[in-house]
Amino acid sequence: MTQHPASDVLDTGERRRAEDAPPSIADLIDEATIQSIAEEAWSALVGEEEYLVPLLGDPVQDAISSWVDVVGPWNGSVVITTARTTAEELSRCLLKEHAPPVIDDEDIEDGLGELANVVGGNVKAVLPGPSALGLPEVGSAPAAGPDTCRVDLLWRGQSLTISVQGSAGAPLDQ
Amino acid sequence: MGAGRRRPQLRLPPAEGEVTVRALVIDDSRVMRRIVTGILKDLGYEVQQAGHGREGLDVLDGGWVPDLVCVDWNMPVMDGLQFVSAVRSNPAWRQVTIMMVTSESEHGQIVRALAAGAHEYVIKPFTADAIRDKLALLGLLPQEVVL
Repeated sequence: MTQHPASDVLDTGERRRAEDAPPSIADLIDEATIQSIAEEAWSALVGEEEYLVPLLGDPVQDAISSWVDVVGPWNGSVVITTARTTAEELSRCLLKEHAPPVIDDEDIEDGLGELANVVGGNVKAVLPGPSALGLPEVGSAPAAGPDTCRVDLLWRGQSLTISVQGSAGAPLDQ
Repeated sequence: MGAGRRRPQLRLPPAEGEVTVRALVIDDSRVMRRIVTGILKDLGYEVQQAGHGREGLDVLDGGWVPDLVCVDWNMPVMDGLQFVSAVRSNPAWRQVTIMMVTSESEHGQIVRALAAGAHEYVIKPFTADAIRDKLALLGLLPQEVVL
């Protein structure tokens, strides 16, 4: 009987396991792409003359985060974090002349949630699909693991971060 | 997108003799509902809002049948695609023009929405001009309606 040369090699399964491993976010998207997506969202929704500057600002006080989950070949979340006062300003800009005199908590959370939804939807389009997009959530940011691509930005001089963070290896929420 | 579909017919109230164009805006985000509603009101629309697809169907079931529905995709209770399918399954609502306004930008999703019966598809983020351009394509700009 003829023996196939490959049968002499011990199959440890290592190669197959490496191929089965979920893709790292660093292989799928970079900071420039995330910033470009965010800039497009800001220009269309926040205002044509509203710019995001890629600089690390002061640490955020009274932070609020909004995120959407992406479920598919890559699993994780797209998270926007900023100060609550900045989120309030963002919501006022989103509503423009239709903004009520007082921006309440629902408007603040809703506005930041919609920005996370728009940025997340366009990030999802860059990632391998098909994927499903979750509904926006607002609160304390989900813990980020090592599989994270993060962009630090300034909007009107205020700190704002956008991170695309994989669920694999992320610390569990308490 | 939306090529080859019928041109919507606008209602003409007999009393005033003026064209009234109605729109229903369905989105789970109150901020987004206000943004889209503001754009449509500026164009001359009479607008109602709903927070998800089921609420939108309730508006139609209640007899307020719009010329245009702007509907988001991802919503709780009933999503936009389910709403489109429900509207298209009712012959009484066949004149309703549906435009999906959503952050779902993958080609496959757009095809699914159009196949389900949506006429147009607007990807978030959008500008007021983008909405206006789509409505012009659909012949749904109130001030341009020719009687």
